[in-house]
Amino acid sequence: MSALLRMELGKLGRLASVRFGALVLVVFPALWAYAPGIFEAYGFYLVSGFQVPALALLSSMEFLLPLLIAITCAELIGIEINHGTLQTVLLRPVTRAQWLLAKLLVASAYPFLALAFFLLTSLAVGAFYGFGPFVGGTGLGPAGLLGAGLTAPGQAWSEVLQAYLIAAYSLVPIGLLAVLFAVLLMNAAGGALATLATLIVMQLLVVFPGVTPYLLTAQLNAYVDPPASLGWVVALVAFYCAAFAAAAVIVFERKDF
Amino acid sequence: MQPAIETHTLNKRYGQRTIVHDLTFAVHPGEVYALVGPNGAGKTTLIRLVSGLAFPTSGTVRMLGENPHETPSVRRRLGAVVEAPAAFYPYLTGRSNLLLHARLAGGVATSRVREVLDQVELGHAADRKVGVYSLGMRQRLGVAAALLTRPEVLILDEPASGMDPLSLHLVHRVLRDAAASGTAVLLSTHHLDEVVAYCSHVGIMEDGALIDEVDLRDRGARVRVRVDDSEAARATLAAQPWVQIAFVRGRDVVFALDEPRAVAHVAGCLAAAGVALLELGDDSFDLRAYYRERLQQQWEKRTLADEPVWGRP
Repeated sequence: MSALLRMELGKLGRLASVRFGALVLVVFPALWAYAPGIFEAYGFYLVSGFQVPALALLSSMEFLLPLLIAITCAELIGIEINHGTLQTVLLRPVTRAQWLLAKLLVASAYPFLALAFFLLTSLAVGAFYGFGPFVGGTGLGPAGLLGAGLTAPGQAWSEVLQAYLIAAYSLVPIGLLAVLFAVLLMNAAGGALATLATLIVMQLLVVFPGVTPYLLTAQLNAYVDPPASLGWVVALVAFYCAAFAAAAVIVFERKDF
Repeated sequence: MQPAIETHTLNKRYGQRTIVHDLTFAVHPGEVYALVGPNGAGKTTLIRLVSGLAFPTSGTVRMLGENPHETPSVRRRLGAVVEAPAAFYPYLTGRSNLLLHARLAGGVATSRVREVLDQVELGHAADRKVGVYSLGMRQRLGVAAALLTRPEVLILDEPASGMDPLSLHLVHRVLRDAAASGTAVLLSTHHLDEVVAYCSHVGIMEDGALIDEVDLRDRGARVRVRVDDSEAARATLAAQPWVQIAFVRGRDVVFALDEPRAVAHVAGCLAAAGVALLELGDDSFDLRAYYRERLQQQWEKRTLADEPVWGRP
């Protein structure tokens, strides 16, 4: 299994969507760091390198990051279909569940890898502003971007790291949902589109207040000033992950190739 | 001897359409079994069912005595190419692709990769990316990948597709050698002329059913004579102890000999019976003609069955 996992991780870097995503994750923070009209648009000035990762994350969690994660995770399956290598692998003494489990683990790891890279590029372009104490907030703590007086670098690091970690975790079910749809549709584009459509429908369901706390999309905001009920978020996201992964395995086990 | 591949009343339906219909056949170790038939006859679906990639709607599949769906470990003893052209990661070299296969299969020495590459004469291109390989080279790499584990069962879907005559000859030799060492080979092909040269059995498929099976090993040792009186010649030959079977086909008499050198007695034997021998030669089996004839019969049978019977209540 470890050999299979290493092999699948190796393939991840070959995906076109990963390369394109990496480019986007470099350009996107740079746009925020050097945008001349931030004050006119949002009423504040960037004063610290810690605010760039915050702004980058705040502006991308709603659509850009779910999109990149969905496309890449659907492509994990789609690329095998395109190359015709899915059958080749399945003709070896590897069970279908083992192979898909390796794909699901890579899909689960990808949001963490992508956000680690995003954080690094954000910090790199934010270095221009420095990483010392600053007046204001990181945007990821209780006081938002305006803050409550002086923010120490230690506190800023902690807020940024925690936010990126929670954000990556809440993106994992989106990746697994994309794998499930790609397995169902046997198509990368179809898998990514079906995932995005599902997320859009979920966002519209906020008009049913009783349902809202259970929605996957509602958990995507947990990284901003993490709620007291973080345990609930962790459990719900884990439930979504388990459900999507189990469904993908069940569908894949009975699929004809 | 236990068959290496065996199906029993195998059926596969997709929705309302039956792709494989009540198919029973077996391939034994050392046999090269070719599935032939028009496009859409169900050859590829059958190959996928047998190799465990698709699930039967009903019926059973056994590979080396095991159900490949329930016992995936049996695939350790299988070498297969079910895509035409054979599918590989185009960004990896031929060698890296085979190393990846070796890792997935487990227990394959690195030296075996070089060995199979040489066997299909791809040693010179082993370190080129598969993306730049020609169709024929990819097919040969597919055969190499299938041979990697010294399989007991070899399944190939259209292995000859896109190959030049030399590559074709090479692959035929490789398949013959594999069968000679006891491997059961199942393949699908449209190259009827070549099939006779290296296959032991042919299964003719049409509309999801196996309409005929031909044992080509029986066909090779037959002799054909053209005479002035075919019935007298048949009776004379059938009475000889060195003749196994003798039958009239058109103006010819076809017979099988116990021993090839017995052909020297044919002319004398016929002359003694007062039959004039006009021509004597190998009865080379024309698979193409036979195939065409069997398909024609099948189509006629179906047309008759489909015709409405007037006057029936």
